Amino acid sequence: MNRRVAVTGATALAMALGLTACGGDSGGGSDENTLKLVAADYGDKASNASKKYWNAVAKDFEKQNKDLKVEVDVINWNEIDSKVKTMIQSGNVPDILQTGGYADKVADDLLYKADEVLSPKTRKNFIQTFAKAGEVDGDQYGIPFVSSTRNLFYNKEIFEKAGIKEPPKTWDEVADAAKKIKSSGAADTPYALPLGPEEAQGETMMWELGNGGTYTDASGKYTLDAKANVETFTWLRKNLVEPGLTYSNPASTDRKTAFADFAAGKAGMLNGHPTLIDMAKDGKVDYGVAPIPGKNGPLKSTLGVADWMMAFKDNGKQEQIKKFLDFAFSKKNMLKFDEMYNLMPVTKDTLAEMESSGKHKDLEPFFEALPNAKFYPLGDPAWDVVSAEIKKSGGNAIKENPAKVLGELQKKAEDAAANK
Amino acid sequence: MPDQAPVSPASRSRGPGGRRGAPGRRRGPAGLGPLPWIAPAVLLIFAVVIWPIVELIRTSFLNISIAGVVRGSAGFDKYSKLFDDSSFAGVLIWTVVWTLVVVSATMLISLALAQLFNQRFPGRRIARWALIAPWAASVLMTAVGFKWMLNQTAGVLNTLMLDLGLIDHSKDWLGTPGTAWPWMMVVAVFVSLPFTTYTLLAGLQTIPEDVYEAARIDGAGSWQTYTGITLPMLRPAFLVGVVINLINVFNSFPIIWAMTRGGPGSDTATTTVFMFQLKETDIAESAAMSVVNFGMVVVLVLVFLKVSGWNKEEDA
Repeated sequence: MNRRVAVTGATALAMALGLTACGGDSGGGSDENTLKLVAADYGDKASNASKKYWNAVAKDFEKQNKDLKVEVDVINWNEIDSKVKTMIQSGNVPDILQTGGYADKVADDLLYKADEVLSPKTRKNFIQTFAKAGEVDGDQYGIPFVSSTRNLFYNKEIFEKAGIKEPPKTWDEVADAAKKIKSSGAADTPYALPLGPEEAQGETMMWELGNGGTYTDASGKYTLDAKANVETFTWLRKNLVEPGLTYSNPASTDRKTAFADFAAGKAGMLNGHPTLIDMAKDGKVDYGVAPIPGKNGPLKSTLGVADWMMAFKDNGKQEQIKKFLDFAFSKKNMLKFDEMYNLMPVTKDTLAEMESSGKHKDLEPFFEALPNAKFYPLGDPAWDVVSAEIKKSGGNAIKENPAKVLGELQKKAEDAAANK
Repeated sequence: MPDQAPVSPASRSRGPGGRRGAPGRRRGPAGLGPLPWIAPAVLLIFAVVIWPIVELIRTSFLNISIAGVVRGSAGFDKYSKLFDDSSFAGVLIWTVVWTLVVVSATMLISLALAQLFNQRFPGRRIARWALIAPWAASVLMTAVGFKWMLNQTAGVLNTLMLDLGLIDHSKDWLGTPGTAWPWMMVVAVFVSLPFTTYTLLAGLQTIPEDVYEAARIDGAGSWQTYTGITLPMLRPAFLVGVVINLINVFNSFPIIWAMTRGGPGSDTATTTVFMFQLKETDIAESAAMSVVNFGMVVVLVLVFLKVSGWNKEEDA
């Protein structure tokens, strides 16, 4: 009796182990008429989950192309990178992927070029700056999907209480306005400076642009510890952190905290993107938008951020992918997505529609910044590593010796660039 | 854990003896000796213990691109990259401090609590049940709870201390390592107390009453009784508590991850948390960190067993 139990147990165990081992490779790309689409979730609640959007697009597409099927897999932002990594490692590569970065996949030769999977008509429709940002060594691989630009948001009520007439244009005016807000007690946090891991690479670049600094020089070499960048952090520490005009620990404060504080009327001003418009409206904050202040005057070109679509060539479904992408980038679909999340378009016809329809007055300052937007070095295959390193420790430049912190980052960036 | 228990007695008492006499006399399933009984456990150990370790070590010697493609062998590159990392030394030191402080504080407080719960007092049953609460709650939930209590703008602790006049402006407790470490240690001790206290309490209850009686008759004072009888007889339970806590606290992940994510930078990371941070940039370097971590746990346990004369005690 006991033995039978043991044998049964062993068999069950072996089966369980066998099953787990097989769990990884279901749903591979064997069927050539089924496209596997993996996309990031932009929604923050069930009612606006991106799954809804993609399921609808897939259904419409299948109606027009009876022989094709689209399998949709929407993954939240926190997990999409590691899940995609696992898919690639286990050889279970998606056909189409929509996420934050693309160049690392180019380095491993996983992607189709954009002109291989887009019709000329679709390709010409992209706003030039974005198409350009999708290039690696002159060939476009990354297909822009949505974008945003950054501007300064300020709370009009707090500014009024503190007696500030105009939004600041230079760094000195920022410090001055922040001082007035502090001394009048109009807000807990006069200037919200989030350098925590969530988006340290974004906030850092917005400030560095103001001092004529960037992440790379003209030849594409990293210049993270350039003199201008060290100066930027030294200024921030001396003029905002030490006098207590921003968070006491910017390096551990995330963007979502800063946004939430602004939406709750607790922060005087901060750099933000269009998502903050809705948050501020929900929080009944009377806000204003102005160009981001630079050291000697407002930024002429602000930070632009884009998310990307890419097509994997592993399963060889070039024609099928082309059909789907042409469909997905049609004006109707793009407009629906951009309006769903208050994001900004990357295609010319959608931009024209959104600018002229009159429904998007609040996005106007962000549209204006689009043509001149500056990007991260997205086309560098090492950028994803560099970006992750900046997220992890870049914020520390504000409290320790900035030259040392940025110097270490620079070393890591050079290693990553040598290793791509 | 429970699967390992049946293995050792079976293999020790029957394995070698049975096999020696078996081949000639027994045939069929009986000839397998204890194999059918221990096979599931052995299989399980291979599948969930040995195999992952092998895979882990293998990964630490690979060159894996950030997209997830294996690009061949990396030799010891990932280890030298890890040891060269400017945060590595600090992370190691803090891991040791973290483990020592949390384990010693846990053991001392648990000793006192166990002693208390071993006394008869009205409501003892309820008090004992109450102690289980932090154990029953998920560690992650507890850590998140503390994180919000310590929050700068909305935290109840800041409000309380401001109202009491202990501080003049609300503090970002988890924002700097100087205050984040002590608070995380408090939480780690808090969640370790129930298990340790119950282990020690069980130990206390195995000490026979007549030993104490004999001590009383001989005229021993209470402190003398405690150091001469209670502590030595509590030794096995105490050792179990220390070993399990050492490993648990050393590997402790959810508390730190939930409260600070090891940040700013890696200033509040232990080796386990640091390993997770490395995952974002280089999965193979992260695996190298894991291997080092694993080695440290093994060494820690071996040293401890040696020092405490564990085997001697158990065999006696």
